[in-house]
Amino acid sequence: MTATVTTPATRRGRGPTRKSVVPWLFLAPGLLLALVFKFWPMAKGVWLSFFDVRPFLGDKWTGLDNYTRVLTDHRFQDAIGHTLILGIGQSLGAILLGFALALLLEGQTRSLKILRTAVFLPAVTATAVVGELWRLMYYPTSDGLLNSGLHLLGLGPVQFLDNPDIALYSTMAMGIWIWAPYNMVILLAGLAGVDRSLYEAAAMDGVSLWQRLRHVTLPAIRPALMIVLTLATIRGLRVFTEVYVLTGGGPAGSTEVWMTRAYTLGFTRNDIGGASAASVVLLCVTLLLTVTVNHFRKRGDAR
Amino acid sequence: MGVRRRSRRLAAGLVATGLAFGTAACGAGSDTSGGDPNTLEVWTRSNPDPAATYERVFAAFTKKTGIKIDYQPVINFDQQLQSRASTRDLPDVMINDTALMGSYQSQGLLKVIDPDSIAGHDQITAKSWSSTVGIDGSHYGIPYSRQAQTLMIRKDWLAKLGLKAPTTWQEMLSVAKAFATRDPDGDGKADTYGMVVPGSAQNGYAAWWGSSFLWQGGAKIVEPDGKGTYKAAMDSAAAVNAVTWMKDNLFCGDNAVTQPGALTAVTGTATNFQDGNAGMYLTGPYNIATFDQTLGKDKYEVVPAPAGPAGGDVLADGENIYFGARTGKTKQEQALAAFLISAEGQQLAMTGENQPVVRIPVNSTLDAATVRDDPRWSVVQKAYEDASQQFPNAPDFAPIKQDTADSLNAIFTYCGGDVRSQLKELNETLDGDLKDQDLLK
Repeated sequence: MTATVTTPATRRGRGPTRKSVVPWLFLAPGLLLALVFKFWPMAKGVWLSFFDVRPFLGDKWTGLDNYTRVLTDHRFQDAIGHTLILGIGQSLGAILLGFALALLLEGQTRSLKILRTAVFLPAVTATAVVGELWRLMYYPTSDGLLNSGLHLLGLGPVQFLDNPDIALYSTMAMGIWIWAPYNMVILLAGLAGVDRSLYEAAAMDGVSLWQRLRHVTLPAIRPALMIVLTLATIRGLRVFTEVYVLTGGGPAGSTEVWMTRAYTLGFTRNDIGGASAASVVLLCVTLLLTVTVNHFRKRGDAR
Repeated sequence: MGVRRRSRRLAAGLVATGLAFGTAACGAGSDTSGGDPNTLEVWTRSNPDPAATYERVFAAFTKKTGIKIDYQPVINFDQQLQSRASTRDLPDVMINDTALMGSYQSQGLLKVIDPDSIAGHDQITAKSWSSTVGIDGSHYGIPYSRQAQTLMIRKDWLAKLGLKAPTTWQEMLSVAKAFATRDPDGDGKADTYGMVVPGSAQNGYAAWWGSSFLWQGGAKIVEPDGKGTYKAAMDSAAAVNAVTWMKDNLFCGDNAVTQPGALTAVTGTATNFQDGNAGMYLTGPYNIATFDQTLGKDKYEVVPAPAGPAGGDVLADGENIYFGARTGKTKQEQALAAFLISAEGQQLAMTGENQPVVRIPVNSTLDAATVRDDPRWSVVQKAYEDASQQFPNAPDFAPIKQDTADSLNAIFTYCGGDVRSQLKELNETLDGDLKDQDLLK
């Protein structure tokens, strides 16, 4: 965009012309909103992470103290481990399920449209509501939905949320349920762009279903997969609501993730500086991961 | 071309005007009550139901004094307060938990209060006033409502099983087991539980609920040394014994003594007592109004908490009135506080259809049971006056409560753990919290 805007300006050799200003004017509302509600708070968060924050007594500069405190806190280290397990598991699960759903629900029939809408519902339902729903489904006696099913098979009851060895995976299952339909939509868009003649050619060559998936579908939807993967990674790392509404980080901290820990620091222990430091670290990690994923994508594209 | 350019210019003009309006609106919207000296912004941590009671109280105040109230019931109070603090524009008056005073004071959020400046201050007992003294010896709050935990227990279940309300831990345990196993609701299914426990570490609930048991076992979380400093006391033999008893009998013993999911339950999700499938609940008296409606007044009774080896002390807490720092409306704030603690203001807040926001009045001319014409409240008042302990009010107790809750929740979750070493670890963490506040002995 900059190229098309600046070319006429440099040709005339003068300052900004009306032509170069107008696009910026149109962008201005969005940029201004982003500045006020995104970039300014973000910058302030980074700034606060170097202070002992006490708005009414004056902030005290502590340098990297908050960072060392956060990174050496063993509960934060545990939380990082849980975040990685939850993030990776939830992302992969949601992508696989989303892909399967996309393959099943691809097409133009009216019934498919209705089905797709129904399947998409979890993604538009408020996470707090979903959390309550799953709390009921996970109810730890044979009255609970899942446990009554297990009861019929002569199993359980399973303490889905109260057993510290299982709670993280129960949270993961809910995360997959929420995010799979979201991924499905992006992948469906990708599938719609696949050249039909390739499928026909493949059919004539008599390939198996697996070979068709592996050599035709997957390469064709690679861009869509990359988007889904990037989004899922970011979401996985900053996961908060799912955990907060389902377990609150418990039992015994077994589902505590990065953001719930930062929240506890900030809002129950009133340590805004520490919470900011934790969030900045998360921002850096996310940035790093996004850049890495992009790098590999570009390298792949070049090949 | 000319037309196109003109339309572009028009669009740009529109955008610019829109932006100008947008920012102007932002500037005007940030401070609604701050400008008007005759309007007080008041925050309470309330759900819609108790908020209705507050609204009635404030309406009466406005009618009497002409001072308007911009009332905000805030559920996630501390989160909202932190964001308001960062803009250095606090609500004028806040009504919130007694245990938060040290935390607010340490952040400089509160005005110092001279009790003599509040009309009717002499109707509050010295004991109540002493609970609002901060670390530097000044008062930072005005007592508003007090309460102590009592045991709510299913009267009909006791009668059906031929049992009496428990008075000791051992009796409580046998009643809980009977409720869980002897089918007190008579539906032929094993779907009842002994007692309700909000045992999650979230917001420190495990420590809030568990503290009564700690007091009853003779334990303390932190101990003052009388010279303004404290030390952690969770490694005492009394603490080890009390926590071990809770762990072995309530969480790692027979099933169904506590409700399923107790270790991730907060008070909002621990609804088994009002749902009618759990028989006991050690909790605060604000629930009486709720239980009367959901469960029925005839189904349960309110009794003193069963005593442990060191007595029957329960956790006492309540709400204070706080004045936000630097709000510049001291006279109006004092007028509101005087009304809130007056017999009239307290009575209004104790009665009505909605949840009462004053549980035990701090105004010593009133009696909870008489005002409400409900003898159950005398059980609560007696517990508060004779057998209760508060969290220490001077230090910033928030981190201490949170760390205690984290530790108790972990101890109750991992049945194989060693209580003594886990509590020793907690004790070191608590000493660290005190050291952070320069309060460690």
